[in-house]
Amino acid sequence: MTTVRIFFEKCGESAYISLLDLQRVFHRLLKISELPVWYTQGFNPHIYLSFSCPLSLGQESLCESCEVKTEQESIDGEAWRAALQPLMPRGITVTKVAPAQAKVGEIATAAYRITMPADSAAALDAYNAAETAEVTKKTKRGHKTLDLKQYLPRIDYTVAGKELVFDILLPCGSGEALNLNPALLMDCLNGQGGAPAWQCQVLRTHLYTASGQDFA
Amino acid sequence: MAGFSPKFKEALSLVQKPGRYTGGEPGCVYKDKQNVDVRMAFCFPDTYEIGMSFLGEKILYDLLNRHENWWCERAFMPWTDMKEQMERLGIPLYCLESKDPLTDFDIVGFSLEYELCYTNVLAMLRLGGIPLRAADRDERWPLIIAGGPCVCNAEPMADFFDVMQLGEGEQMLQDICATVETGKKQGWDKETLLRELAKLPGVYVPSFYDVTYLPDGRVEAITPNRPGVPARVTKAIVKNMDDYAPPVNFVVPLVGAVQDRACVEVLRGCVRGCRFCQAGQIYRPFRERSPQQISDCARELCRRTGYDELSLTSLSTSDHSQLEEILDRLNSWAEADHVSLSLPSLRVDNFSQSLVEKTTKVRKSGLTFAAEAGTQRLRDVINKNVTWEQIERGCRIAFSEGYTSVKLYFMMGLPTETMEDIKGIADTAQRVVDLFYQISDRPKGKGVQVTISVACFVPKPDTPFQFCAQDRREALREKQKYLLSCVHSRKIKVNYHDSATSVLEGVFAKGDRRLGRVIETAFEDGAFFDTWEEYFDYDRWMRAFAACGIDPDFYNYRALGLDEVTPWSHLDVGVSHSFLVREYQKALQAQTTQPCNRQCSACGANKLLGGPCFDYRQDLL
Ligand code: SF4
Repeated sequence: MTTVRIFFEKCGESAYISLLDLQRVFHRLLKISELPVWYTQGFNPHIYLSFSCPLSLGQESLCESCEVKTEQESIDGEAWRAALQPLMPRGITVTKVAPAQAKVGEIATAAYRITMPADSAAALDAYNAAETAEVTKKTKRGHKTLDLKQYLPRIDYTVAGKELVFDILLPCGSGEALNLNPALLMDCLNGQGGAPAWQCQVLRTHLYTASGQDFA
Repeated sequence: MAGFSPKFKEALSLVQKPGRYTGGEPGCVYKDKQNVDVRMAFCFPDTYEIGMSFLGEKILYDLLNRHENWWCERAFMPWTDMKEQMERLGIPLYCLESKDPLTDFDIVGFSLEYELCYTNVLAMLRLGGIPLRAADRDERWPLIIAGGPCVCNAEPMADFFDVMQLGEGEQMLQDICATVETGKKQGWDKETLLRELAKLPGVYVPSFYDVTYLPDGRVEAITPNRPGVPARVTKAIVKNMDDYAPPVNFVVPLVGAVQDRACVEVLRGCVRGCRFCQAGQIYRPFRERSPQQISDCARELCRRTGYDELSLTSLSTSDHSQLEEILDRLNSWAEADHVSLSLPSLRVDNFSQSLVEKTTKVRKSGLTFAAEAGTQRLRDVINKNVTWEQIERGCRIAFSEGYTSVKLYFMMGLPTETMEDIKGIADTAQRVVDLFYQISDRPKGKGVQVTISVACFVPKPDTPFQFCAQDRREALREKQKYLLSCVHSRKIKVNYHDSATSVLEGVFAKGDRRLGRVIETAFEDGAFFDTWEEYFDYDRWMRAFAACGIDPDFYNYRALGLDEVTPWSHLDVGVSHSFLVREYQKALQAQTTQPCNRQCSACGANKLLGGPCFDYRQDLL
């Protein structure tokens, strides 16, 4: 059995597809594609399909992925990509299909590129000057307060015309591992007079393993 | 990013399920608008989830988009949170494919599936920045049209539409688009365009008819006010179902629709002639699709959409004369393609062992039987030709096959109904419960659950009961209480729907053109989403009637004279007035009428085919 990872971009319209809906859509697309994906056994067999580190609604990404299985020993990634792409909803671009190299549990951090209106610079300056930046994170067990500065001591941004841009790296894990949604930072900046979320673009650019390798 | 303006992103960030408003679903059709001659916005006046479950839109979306130079897109009624944001941010109602506002389209068409969506039509026009009344729109505005079953009494909405389509849209809507295309190229004004459109089969231009009233408020006459306009508009139909292959691709919703599965329409019309059922009359005559086309198109549709559930839809799927062949053909590939079959409208009277086996290979859900009335007498009155023996036989088979829950549908407020008939509803359910425990091969270790679902009967135009008055709410409440007092088993559950919305439904079903003002008044007073209990406000409607000086009771609580000119008398759906009168009189004597496939009752609908509906020389049953 080979685990196959499908990498895709999720931008534009598709940024508003929830994980649940995305799972349904992918099930159908895989079925249509007639690719030799593995079905779970049992009374009601369905395609084995698992998404890693899904985004919040409205955020975009260049590096989303999901995994399926196949009984084939090797696959022609390009053929898989070509079979899937025409079936995708608008905004989803399949970038690569290949045998999985790492396990989802090895994902440690995610890089995001944030674009905001230039007049949010003051909020970023305030963030950089502050000692702490406490935010409340919702967890399965309730609310937890944490200090963003621990993970993002300083944000260096560049202003280009009406926009400002910066890149950040946040812990990204599944299960028990810490996962920080960039929305926490956006809310925090908004609280300091930064632009509201809908004026900003959150684009996930990379997922990294603990050793700093691109998740593949 | 993909043309999403900050305003649009802001709205999306503030609403529930933004995926309903973004489009981009697999199966969407995109075209280059520079190369398109006719743009149509197909509007469904209810939520995305409901509209995306609607087969009619999929059929027409597919047919129109097959024309290279026409582009049909979709719009739905935004949920209240999105509506609020769109109003606040000044985002006009747009179509999901291009995101262009309705005003950019040549034709804006609405599907009128039920009366209570009327205010949503006005809400969508308003959100689109389009004047509500046809008289206030010249040729610079899109042509606003309607289709769907409610057009058989189009009058309450007549003021708002330029064109209404009576009957089936497959050919009619294509004819309309072609005429609009010619009109655009030749620079016709609205009057010329409407005159040309009025020549098309099934097309009704409300402004071309004058309605006069008698002093007592009844309609005196409905007369064309232009030369060359037909005195009666005759419904358009598809004569041969196989001439219009069903769509083999759907726009597959990203946000779950109510009916999110592949469906193929297997037949149109109904042979039964239940006297309360409007669909059974207005979709006459009965026409079937061939098993080959059903199976081929279904398979292709499942392959292209990836759906794993296939539904065979129609008013009465089990009346298809070749149902077994259809199921055999479908079963020859369904399992290998991971597709399960469902038949949504099984009938108790021809519910056979082999049918159950052919449709329940994959899953056993609950069974539903429409008994409609609790006693044989009342079932004869409504011509629901179902006997207790048939219900018993159906349930017996179902229980032995492993079903443990049965849902029985009934109506309350039927003509000639007495408390005896109400008690009959509870008795029928009790007999089903008793039956379960008498059967030796019933599912072991399980109890039975019988659900009685009771709807309020609403007299509808073009049915033999159009002449009847609707039961008053007080009477229905009494009956409901009595029904509950007759149920003595915990295995029986009663579902009952409130009658407040049925009152409005009854008024608009049989209403005339004067109700347009009431609908507009209620809308301006905040009415929309009337189909949704949480937004329906009965008192607001009563205020609107009062403000317009119109008595709603006149429409729904008054029995019509058999010779009365009805507000829909100029709209011919095929069944003749004399047939309806005959059937009504038979109903009062509890006399039944044979289904069309056994014996023709000369309803008149065969004129739409230009010949008899059935070949009675063959032994069809
Ligand atoms: S003409 Fe006869 S067979 Fe045809 S729909 Fe009417 S009653 Fe039925």
